[in-house]
Amino acid sequence: MAIIKELVYLLVYPGMLFLFLYSTFCEWFDRKLYARLQNRIGPAYTGRFGILQPVADFFKLLFKEDIVPEKADRVIFSSLPVIGLATVVSAGLYLPLWNFDLRAPGFNSFQGDIIVVLYLLSLPTLILFLAGWHSTNFFSTLGGVRVLTMLFGYEVPLFLAVLSPAVVADSWRLAEIANFYQQFPFLLAFQIIGFFVAVVALQAKLERTPFDIPHAETEIVGGTFTEYSGKKLAFFRLMTDIEMVVGSGLMATVFMAGFSGSVLPSLLIFVLKTLIVISILSLIRATFSRIRVDQMVVFSWKYLTPLAVLQLLISIIVKGIIG
Amino acid sequence: MMDQTELIEKIRAHPGQELIEISSPRERRIFVSVKPENLIKTIRLLKDDFGFYHVSTISGVDKISCFEILYHLASRSASLTVRVEIDRNNPEVQSICGVIPGAILYEREIQDMFGIKIINIPDPRPLVLPDDWPENNYPLRKDWSFQPPEEKIPGEKE
Amino acid sequence: MKRITIPIGPQHPALKEPISLRMTIEGEVIKDADVRLGYNHRGIEKLAESKTYIQNIYLMERICGICSHSHTTCYVQGVEALCELEVPRRGLFIRALVCELERIHSHYLWLGVAAHEAGFDSLFMYTWRDREVVMDLLEIISGNRVHYAINTIGGVRRDLNEIQKEKILEGVEFLKKRMEYYTNLGTTEPSFVGRVSGVGILPEEKAMALCAVGPTLRASRIASDIRKDDPYGAYGEFPFEVCTADTCDVLGRVVVRVKETIESLNIVEYIIRNLPEGEIKVKAPRRIKEGEVVSRYEAPRGENIHYIKSNGTDKPERLKVRAPTLANYPATIEMLKNGFVADIPLIFAAIDPCICCAERFVEIIDERKGSRGIMTMAEIKRKFKKPEIKKDFVWPL
Repeated sequence: MAIIKELVYLLVYPGMLFLFLYSTFCEWFDRKLYARLQNRIGPAYTGRFGILQPVADFFKLLFKEDIVPEKADRVIFSSLPVIGLATVVSAGLYLPLWNFDLRAPGFNSFQGDIIVVLYLLSLPTLILFLAGWHSTNFFSTLGGVRVLTMLFGYEVPLFLAVLSPAVVADSWRLAEIANFYQQFPFLLAFQIIGFFVAVVALQAKLERTPFDIPHAETEIVGGTFTEYSGKKLAFFRLMTDIEMVVGSGLMATVFMAGFSGSVLPSLLIFVLKTLIVISILSLIRATFSRIRVDQMVVFSWKYLTPLAVLQLLISIIVKGIIG
Repeated sequence: MMDQTELIEKIRAHPGQELIEISSPRERRIFVSVKPENLIKTIRLLKDDFGFYHVSTISGVDKISCFEILYHLASRSASLTVRVEIDRNNPEVQSICGVIPGAILYEREIQDMFGIKIINIPDPRPLVLPDDWPENNYPLRKDWSFQPPEEKIPGEKE
Repeated sequence: MKRITIPIGPQHPALKEPISLRMTIEGEVIKDADVRLGYNHRGIEKLAESKTYIQNIYLMERICGICSHSHTTCYVQGVEALCELEVPRRGLFIRALVCELERIHSHYLWLGVAAHEAGFDSLFMYTWRDREVVMDLLEIISGNRVHYAINTIGGVRRDLNEIQKEKILEGVEFLKKRMEYYTNLGTTEPSFVGRVSGVGILPEEKAMALCAVGPTLRASRIASDIRKDDPYGAYGEFPFEVCTADTCDVLGRVVVRVKETIESLNIVEYIIRNLPEGEIKVKAPRRIKEGEVVSRYEAPRGENIHYIKSNGTDKPERLKVRAPTLANYPATIEMLKNGFVADIPLIFAAIDPCICCAERFVEIIDERKGSRGIMTMAEIKRKFKKPEIKKDFVWPL
């Protein structure tokens, strides 16, 4: 019975199938909201309100011609999208959804899983860099270099901001952090700055406007994705979508007290809370213009990191008072 | 702002000028004809003393007997055209880029279109014609005509 | 650091029309730039010599889509000057009206494109939606959204009635409000201003030496506008100011265009309120007497100049067209140097490039003509040898 439960957990919910369906839904939600904010209609034809558009895009790309550049290393070039997808899906498994029992933790809940999730969410960045580098194209190389440059900007504030709720909760386990804030919701009020920093850093991690520097189409064509096509591009796009879901799920866990209850209530709370985070991400995307890579690094070290440090200080003080 | 007739008088009276002709057919338009060897001198003078700092464009005209090159200069108050006639058999003219650097693209254009050799041009590459354009084909000369090549679709049945 | 050359164009997402910019970069910094034209040549100047004066109006209109009215007005003015026609005032006013609406439409379009190049897609969508209002007004006046076909030698082809005037005033009122909003947005939104200020510097003396025109020139402190310096048509009567900026960068070009749009909206209002009564055109002769004329016009992108030489027949002897974009290329090269790769689309878009305007001359090549079936490598090299660039020469100065 336990094996079946774990298989369901891996493959159906919240594993592959759920993440695939929900991430396409989130992409549709993001696109639709973004379009409405810009006075456009957005996807409208596939499915009701165009809800199946991302799925249709995915399957369309699967059947498109797949080209590997002559000079590129075939094995690495082809395996990168799959590895990227695998890392974000495994990161998704650690979100405290449904299967968590604080007293009897399963294989995917343990002390320090918050670090594992953050680590797994960092891997796609490296994969994008490798993808750009192995495409042997000037635009891809430039995009890859920009990916790495940005990594040094946003990663530190993101880690600091995500870890400060953990400091107050005195645990490195996601389920315990969520449980702690369900008992003391008012303590979340002290994490506002951290939430802001983390969402902005997440925006940068997802490479969305104003941080869509590595694949700025008017500057360097497709950036890291210039040479990718067909199935591989489809996997990369799915990877970005799932990364968005997992990232916002992580935000919801540490800053919004997670998702309690059995299968259905926890699912509903998960959808609600991640959609809130995604709405904020879309709003940021619609209100800013793309900044330059040097401006981005300056911005994150001048503003984001000090704010994250300040948040950490606040957390330590709060911890001292309540503890 | 200088009065038009006054301006013309001043240009005419300027020492060291060997103008062939100066006329003003309508308001704010002046046409000046000079010999090719005086071209640089005239343009430098117009730029330094009369404020014609802007080259609007350079037109070439094929008059069959000779080539005519027109330098359309402009100041803030008038448009002045310097006309130079050059030999059709040995078409050569000095580059004015030393005086007004912005003329470079127009000179390259003239070079492409009329086959007029611009002496001392800083950048002699073709501007608008492709790199594999056949030699001695100058499209804006009056005697140039174009025969489109017979269209052949690859794989078409004979 | 290693220098690499990246090709921007002839096909590139930032370019809507084909042109090739070769950028030599070191990391993210541009060290050298070169521009290669000739991807969009249609041989219009040659073609114009074989068309009648009336046919040429429609040919001139097709030089460019955005500034179609600019080229026809410039051409028609020249021909009218050649045959000494006195155009009725109402005709001139309607001509100026379409011209200013076109300027508004062009600047709205440009603002959207600039925002898109900077990755600010929301502004892009907003401006292009409002641009529809101008396009509709132009459709009301002329029946067409892009090629207005309103000019003819001796006047304009369509008159205005009261309902049209009312509609135009309504549209202008709406656009004014929207433009104020964009002025605010484009000059205060921090991420956008951060992207455009201090980028693509073109100092005053360089702008003069490299013969820049239009908003590019005016953003470098030089208040040169053909409408003021060399008033054509009815422009001597309209009250308006020449908009300049003193920052000499892309932000300055944004400010100049935005201000100019508001000035244009005021001019449109003035024209509608003071439209004189009378005829809209006079009859023009078919044969134009011998002569030559230089016609200048302030297009949305800058000075547009046509040189027309007639020989007494119904076809011109020579028709030379110089569109503003061509005049701005040398300045663009100067602006691009030492910029960032990220700024290439912005700097290039800031001159509002219209490549199909700038290229008009040549027809297709006859590659086979006169060549043998087999050529040796040496022959090919000899035939297609590129001239050398002088060693000590820095392009284009």
